[in-house]
Amino acid sequence: MTQANGWIGTILRVNLTDGSIKKEPLNMQDANDYVGARGLGTKYYCNEVDPKIDPLSPENKLIFMTGPLTGTAACSSGRYEVVSKAPLTGIIGAANSGGHFGPELKYAGYDGIIFEGKAARPVYLHIDDGQVELLDAGELWGQGVHETTEALEAKHGKVRVSCIGTPGERGMLFAAIMNDKNRAAGRGGMGAVMGSKNLKAIAVRGTGGVTVARPERFMREVAKARTMLKEHPVTGNGLGTFGTEILVNIVNEVGGLPLRNGRDGSYWDKADDTSGERLNETHLVKNQGCFGCSIACGRVTKIEGKGDLDGFGEGPEYEAGWSYGAACGVNDISSIVKANFICNEQGMDPITLGSTVACAMELFEMGAIPEEDIGFPLRFGDAEAMVKLTQMCADGEGFGQTIGLGSYRLAEKYGHPELSMSVKKQEMPAYDARAIQGIGLEYATSNRGGCHVRGYMISPEVLGIPVKLDPQVTEGKGALLKTFQDLTALCDSTGMCLFTTFGIGLPEIAGQYREAVGTDETDEEILLKGERIWNLEKRFNMEAGVEKDTLPPRLLREALPSGPAQGKVNELQTMLADYYEARNWTADGIPTAEKLAELSMTY
Amino acid sequence: MLVKFLATYRQIAGCKSCDVPAPADVLELMVALCNRWPAFDGLILNKDKTDKGDDVIILVNGRHIEHLGDVATPLTEQDYVVITPLVAGG
Repeated sequence: MTQANGWIGTILRVNLTDGSIKKEPLNMQDANDYVGARGLGTKYYCNEVDPKIDPLSPENKLIFMTGPLTGTAACSSGRYEVVSKAPLTGIIGAANSGGHFGPELKYAGYDGIIFEGKAARPVYLHIDDGQVELLDAGELWGQGVHETTEALEAKHGKVRVSCIGTPGERGMLFAAIMNDKNRAAGRGGMGAVMGSKNLKAIAVRGTGGVTVARPERFMREVAKARTMLKEHPVTGNGLGTFGTEILVNIVNEVGGLPLRNGRDGSYWDKADDTSGERLNETHLVKNQGCFGCSIACGRVTKIEGKGDLDGFGEGPEYEAGWSYGAACGVNDISSIVKANFICNEQGMDPITLGSTVACAMELFEMGAIPEEDIGFPLRFGDAEAMVKLTQMCADGEGFGQTIGLGSYRLAEKYGHPELSMSVKKQEMPAYDARAIQGIGLEYATSNRGGCHVRGYMISPEVLGIPVKLDPQVTEGKGALLKTFQDLTALCDSTGMCLFTTFGIGLPEIAGQYREAVGTDETDEEILLKGERIWNLEKRFNMEAGVEKDTLPPRLLREALPSGPAQGKVNELQTMLADYYEARNWTADGIPTAEKLAELSMTY
Repeated sequence: MLVKFLATYRQIAGCKSCDVPAPADVLELMVALCNRWPAFDGLILNKDKTDKGDDVIILVNGRHIEHLGDVATPLTEQDYVVITPLVAGG
């Protein structure tokens, strides 16, 4: 039985310790206040878990949460969120994924799942509409993502599968949860939390639907937004044609593509070898969309005639293409595609993994890591070593285990934590904050550590969407980032894909949300929910013991040696003051009582 | 002067880059490129050829022309220009 407001109205609570499975009503007050998915999942988590919890302990919880638009006719509404404390960072970890799993969960009759405890032996959760059962996963344990997915499809028929590979089983700190084989709730190590609970997979089949509050008005909003997406050059044609990897050349040309762990600046004369244009020429089979998506940015790719590299899969996305490309100084696109395949097949975050390999390459070249620790030379540009180390990390073999610590713990182990290109122990993606000032502020203040999708300042600073800002100046960045952070928190929480925001804005997101849930709140009141979510995450992180908002010293002190931003460092302190003021936080970045009262926050 | 093309503009130009004599400014360059490859008309230039198109990004030496002198940005033989349709990712 569904509610007529975008929600089903039911949460599954699965205790893995005693095997109990309960269905409980959705907390509608929290759903109204925190929207859904990222926001609502985080609210449930904050209500139930001590911020000081060990993320890999049985007492931790793991929450899968959809949004009110997930599985509806709204644009690109295939998203769901996985929420827990992240083992990589020790702060809140909310990882968002597309594909078809989220809608299927709702069609089976559930808005979300809360996993508690730890199973005595490997299990998976099988959901077939109203029938929910924990089943033995002994034969799946030790299998990769694709094998696990195919085995569950063979056993249960047409199910959608979310699962972990062997790195997640071992508690590798940046293990991802993968659904529909190649879609990832990728960052922060949600797969490690799942593995720590002896939970291998969720296989779900749903035959129901989702009902919205005001169907005719809702469909008018959807039609308006879909038209805007179709007519926009990015969402109408660009992303589908070239995928996200198309960013390589433009980011490089503005001097913002971090090269060789950022050691050698951020302009690369070989960038085009790794570009979206090049990927189309060499490995693209076709593009592919997630549930209800007209953008279809996904890349179905294959490698042929390259011996051991040969394979079939998806990607890479821009961030992974950079981490295995410019960050490692590797311009062999087949090796980049292969390394990304390994990450997908075993469930690992390629941003963190590629960046950690890059960090290891710098440490090796400066003599900080002896060759005997690795077992072979590891120099920038060595594509074969890069792929080999990625496979070793997937297998938990040799030095691959050290790579599995992530770059911060790796660099710290070898005496140079300053060479980890991370914020709050999570690796920053593919934009150099010395050339693009606002993205540095975004990295520093992101509530889940180094991250590009908690605001995406590249949009105004490089692409000119929705306004064109100079990437090399600091003025105005703090206030705009605050708005972008609140908007992305809102978008993530509805169940829509963030990429829609290239073509539509707050009026269209709020419009679809308003008619789906049946509220008369204004656009501004709906955006305020995004701000509430941001402050909730911040409060959790403060209680968890978050580190201060800063960047690696390289970005603050080592001027770019060449390129359009030659001589620049990131001017973080100037922007931080403006940002905290825009948030109405203290000068130290702490939410004020006045702000929390304005947001009606009880946490 | 070097001009680089990205994304679908490579298909229009049939090359990744070309060398052209440096015109006085960006607007003159866009007109010259449209004359050479008419398919650029309406993309990199607006219809009355007085400004750039709505959905084009133009860099001169890695800087967006909006932060220089827009289409009046002067050019020399030592400059290089990048022209791309609006793209995005992340």
